[in-house]
Amino acid sequence: MIKQFFRTLLLGAVIGVAPAMAIADGYDGLPRTFLWNPNFNRVIDTSSYAGDGPFTIGFSNASQGDGWLGTFYHSVQYGVSENLDRIGRFIVTDANGDPTKQISDIQDLLEQGIDLLLVNPATADALDPILGRTMRRGVPVVTVARRVESDSSFVSFVTASDTALARMSATWMAETLNGKGRIVLLPGLAGASPAEMRLQAAKEVFAQFPGIEIIDTQYTGWSPANGRQIMAAIIQREGASNIDGVWADSGLQGSGSVEAFIGAGVMGADIPPHTGGDLNGMYQLAHENGFPFAGIDYTPSIGAAAVHLSVDVLEGTPVPQRLDVNFQVVISPGHETRSISADVLLPDYVAMDRPGELIMGSGIPNYDPASFSVELPN
Amino acid sequence: MTYSKSRYLVRRLQLDPSLIIVILLLSIVVISGFVLSDRFGTMRNFMNVLEQSSGLGFASIGQAMVVIVGGIDLSIGAVVTASTIFMAAVVDLHPGLMIPMIFGTLLFGAMIGFCNGYIAMKTGVHPLIVTLGTASILNGSVLIYTLQPTGGVPYWFEEFAYGRIWNVPISGLVMLSCFALIWLFLRYFQTGRAFYAVGGSPEAARLSGIQSNRVILLAYSASGFFAALAGVYFVSRTGVGDPRIGDPITLASITPVILGGLILGGGKGNILGVLLGVILISLLSNLLNYMNISTFVQWVIQGVIIIIAVSVYVHKGKKL
Repeated sequence: MIKQFFRTLLLGAVIGVAPAMAIADGYDGLPRTFLWNPNFNRVIDTSSYAGDGPFTIGFSNASQGDGWLGTFYHSVQYGVSENLDRIGRFIVTDANGDPTKQISDIQDLLEQGIDLLLVNPATADALDPILGRTMRRGVPVVTVARRVESDSSFVSFVTASDTALARMSATWMAETLNGKGRIVLLPGLAGASPAEMRLQAAKEVFAQFPGIEIIDTQYTGWSPANGRQIMAAIIQREGASNIDGVWADSGLQGSGSVEAFIGAGVMGADIPPHTGGDLNGMYQLAHENGFPFAGIDYTPSIGAAAVHLSVDVLEGTPVPQRLDVNFQVVISPGHETRSISADVLLPDYVAMDRPGELIMGSGIPNYDPASFSVELPN
Repeated sequence: MTYSKSRYLVRRLQLDPSLIIVILLLSIVVISGFVLSDRFGTMRNFMNVLEQSSGLGFASIGQAMVVIVGGIDLSIGAVVTASTIFMAAVVDLHPGLMIPMIFGTLLFGAMIGFCNGYIAMKTGVHPLIVTLGTASILNGSVLIYTLQPTGGVPYWFEEFAYGRIWNVPISGLVMLSCFALIWLFLRYFQTGRAFYAVGGSPEAARLSGIQSNRVILLAYSASGFFAALAGVYFVSRTGVGDPRIGDPITLASITPVILGGLILGGGKGNILGVLLGVILISLLSNLLNYMNISTFVQWVIQGVIIIIAVSVYVHKGKKL
């Protein structure tokens, strides 16, 4: 019994990280979120879902409302294009961030006879009842980017950890400031679970450094324009020299903050330390100006990983209940700290010859969002 | 149907071009659905659409009642949101209060609607401004209380949103009953007919002995009540109170009102047109999902349909 338990755990470890290793850009070890997760990862027997194919997969997307979500969708399409021999039909709906529309979308997908539902839930809680009903109807559910509350409402959840991303970037900020300084927090969209989870995790870290004073926390909606406008107002109020660091959960708004400092006449290495990955423009600003910087992408390649896992489910291959996809810690040269080392140094990661709008970590070779196109089943 | 009855119906329809337009658009959507997808035209799908349209239907009834008296309610989405939070948060703490909280939530919505009407009436401020202010207060208060979905309801309460009686969705039946009751009220009750009189000309209504203020208060209270009913439906459908769930509802509730031929200045229009507008919007969204068409294209098509419908009404001399 015990032996079987450990065999199951070992299997979970192997299948839980293998796809992630294939997709990662630079750091190709086991995902830290898997290594450091104090909980066990269950392996789900999917033999009852096994079929011959080709399969019909329904994808209920929450939204394409920002650059990250657009790239994530491309990653999903890329994953489908890599499985053309297994996926006969791929039906997509987009809820535009509205959970009630997403519930209707899912009902419409079910009526079209899908074999599996892949879903990026608009909120972590509101989709629970409909996903539970979908599972009870015998249609397996794979959630990606956000999970829902009940374990029984999905087969597997594919993610890059929000909490790990936030704890690492917040720790880097606190240690860069030697545990003392006045900082601003720029989370994403108020009420969105990734933003709230990251903010809560970052605050947990900062609470362990009594010398760190959070002078303001402003939601930005992951918008560069909002990031710039909000930070310009804070600079006006506090004075640029009285702000020692800016923690942003993404470079989307982080880049706006850097531009606000530049607009206020603070240039180059005088710009206070910043965090925030995802956006190539943020990496470019950090590289050009040379201020202390740590960027961690919430890698959109989770989209392709989720499609691969979905095909596994439909082929009856056991899958982990939670699949962690790797992320990269990118730090400007000379700014590694006691706890946080770089997986990749900034000059080796930034794409100076690519557009600033590019979202990093897509896992798609030579990715260009403007010209991206792949062959899809229908 | 006898000859005289059908002639009466045709005459009625000729008098109300808005109904003809919305029926025509509905027919186009349904025929396209049958042609383009073999799964669209199933009873099961139509019942799904009826279920999905309930939330929008409840909200649109309230909006229609306010529009008929010459007003507009921009707080409907905020009342929906506040109702979901109020209900889910209380029931989560006291699950035994589930049934009383359904009525409590409806009362809560009606009271907010009453306040909207009272403030607009007493201050003379345009209802657009008053309800916008109320929406801001409610949304702000909700976000102060919680930024994320919160609370919960017992599992059995999902049956209101997902349950079926003889394969007909319970929520759809409730929505159709509400439309039928309001249609009867507006058509056959003196107070109901006074809604049109007040919307057409408040001064003339007052001179003819109608207590316009009471009618306006009743319209806004009804709007709040139905917004809260939509909130109850969404709690049943999602199992939680959500601080952002009502965001798209306000504008969405106006679309079927316009499509159904109600005149935004008040005084004219048939509530059954609003029901057809609700079904048209829901069926259109359903069909476009079946055609695997992006949401952005869906917005474009929905916008085009609104403009076409309204253009026809204007052409018929009914300015909106």
